[in-house]
Amino acid sequence: MAVPVYLFTGFLESGKTALISNTLLDEGFNDGEKTLLIRCEEGIEEYEEKMLKQTRTALVTVENEQDLCSDLLVEFDRRYEPDRVMIEFNGLWSVNQFLEMDMPLDWLLVQILTTIDAQTFTSYMSNMRSLMYDQIFASEVVIFNRCEPEMKKSFLRSNIKAINKSAQLIYEMSDGSINDLKDDELPFDVKADFIDLEDDDYGLWYMDALENPGKYKGKIIRFKGKVMRRPEDDEDIYVIGRLAMVCCAEDMQLIGLMVKSDHAEQMVDGDWLTLTAQIEVIFDEEYGADVPFLIEESYERCRPMKDEIVSFS
Amino acid sequence: MTKVDLFSGFLGAGKTTVIRKLLKEAMQGEKCVLIENEFGEIGIDGGFLKEAGVEITEMNSGCICCSLVGDFEEALKKVLEQFEPDRILIEPSGVGKLSDVLQAVENVKDERLVINGVVTVVDGTKVKMYKKNFGEFYNDQLHYAKTILISRAQKLSHEKLDEVIKLIQEENSEASLVSTPWDELSGAQILNVMENGNQMLKELIAETACPQCGHIHDHEHECEDHHHEHHHEDHDHHHEHEEHHHGRECSCGHDHHDHHEHGHHHADDVFESWGIETAHVYTEAELKAILDELCENEKILRAKGMVAGEEDWYYFDLVPHEAEIRKGSKDVIGKLCVIGTHIDKEAVKQLFRLV
Repeated sequence: MAVPVYLFTGFLESGKTALISNTLLDEGFNDGEKTLLIRCEEGIEEYEEKMLKQTRTALVTVENEQDLCSDLLVEFDRRYEPDRVMIEFNGLWSVNQFLEMDMPLDWLLVQILTTIDAQTFTSYMSNMRSLMYDQIFASEVVIFNRCEPEMKKSFLRSNIKAINKSAQLIYEMSDGSINDLKDDELPFDVKADFIDLEDDDYGLWYMDALENPGKYKGKIIRFKGKVMRRPEDDEDIYVIGRLAMVCCAEDMQLIGLMVKSDHAEQMVDGDWLTLTAQIEVIFDEEYGADVPFLIEESYERCRPMKDEIVSFS
Repeated sequence: MTKVDLFSGFLGAGKTTVIRKLLKEAMQGEKCVLIENEFGEIGIDGGFLKEAGVEITEMNSGCICCSLVGDFEEALKKVLEQFEPDRILIEPSGVGKLSDVLQAVENVKDERLVINGVVTVVDGTKVKMYKKNFGEFYNDQLHYAKTILISRAQKLSHEKLDEVIKLIQEENSEASLVSTPWDELSGAQILNVMENGNQMLKELIAETACPQCGHIHDHEHECEDHHHEHHHEDHDHHHEHEEHHHGRECSCGHDHHDHHEHGHHHADDVFESWGIETAHVYTEAELKAILDELCENEKILRAKGMVAGEEDWYYFDLVPHEAEIRKGSKDVIGKLCVIGTHIDKEAVKQLFRLV
């Protein structure tokens, strides 16, 4: 029988231990199965003996990244014969490398969850984005904890979505309540039929449109962006967008939308346009959801933006 | 000459707070440039910097997967050419190694640049956890620091603070520590530690040393020429050594090895000085009891120190059979140093409750 494996990633002090303890104690999760908990980081929080006993959990610690290998997991599997496995990963170890590692035959990675301390998020993202990126890029669920009411949800969300579009986001307030963070007002009028986007607001609009394409259907939008041509697109299609920092300054990615245009063949990679277009919605096979799609109404060529990198605040 | 002060430390440790305090309280009137390679949580407010005449240079993306060292050297050179400042303060990325930054400054190879302060700021409440989990870069920051400033010390109990200091000293026993909460210190005091280190041991050695020959003499065996200057002890013992005072002009050089044959001590190879920094808090009575015991220890020639009390700080001076305690102003950390023969350091530590 398959042994489900849950991987908990996130930086030191982000609340992994608390999340794992609470999950183990959750009645919905716990039906008397034997859990093997592999701890790869020792923070301030510790697992209570009583909780471990009560939940039939065996705790093992792996101190060095190089020790965490296939052979060790096979050995754990043999010794503990777990029904399921939870791994508290180390915030500095490579998730990517872990995903490439062979696990015991019947072990099956079913979910990756990441915890993030909302209070240090801004600082950590600006100063060690590559480390954060590695913890986030493969996650199914990202849990922001220690949120305060005045925090900008759009900032938190957009920064995650820029790295990992499909992650589900949960916001936990400092008092422990869930999802109390209000959707903040967007810096443009979402009700207007014509949206004239400021350069600084592109990131927020893009993320919102990606999540709620229906909200913008039929509207006209004007914004400045950079052209990208992809060989796989039809002749009358080009992509327009802005660069976002994915991992670091050396690793940029265009976050953009497809534009249907009669002038597509005149567009070259790196062209800058002020584009006016109508927003439509199509189903994207690869993404598995509806996405916005632009129909060009008019355009003007323009100078490259001085600071072309998108921000989400 | 341009002094370079480095301030490393993990994100949130309090680097910006220290820099701001120093600029405000200790570096007024100097032409300072601040190079930031970190986007702080607080951010040094531009208004204050302008007022203080500080130029600020921000380096882009504090990314650690790309090499920043090249950029860094460029930034330094540019600052030097453009401003010719008295001082350059550098706040490197919190997740970088201090040794890399030091290397980068060295690489500029400009003789106007003098590395001055090499500071690491650590959050006292997190040292244990970060040391365990961060490993390399965190330990590097501790290891290469000349001065280690402990932030949030006021949030720690006395015992915890002692423990933190021990953890830091495991990685670096040479660095001068600052464990007194910063708002109780002046910027000048902090700058003084950064630039001069722990002066007390040097002072004590200087005070105790013979002004003529520069060596330290046992009260039982003095340099003949000036043994009256060292008269803080009983002279009764001298008769035992009469023989050495005859026929030879003691210059306290290295030529009277015959002393050793008699089991006597000579400064250079037997006397030792030893000092330790501590945040331990003592009551006056406790300290008095400790010193009363220490001054009867025949291996101790001199001791001196300043330690934190519950409210006041106590400064002490000790010669054999006599110890004096007086109250004094706060310092950056408690210190004590001793001079003697074959000092049992562990025993002294134990006596001062530092084990």
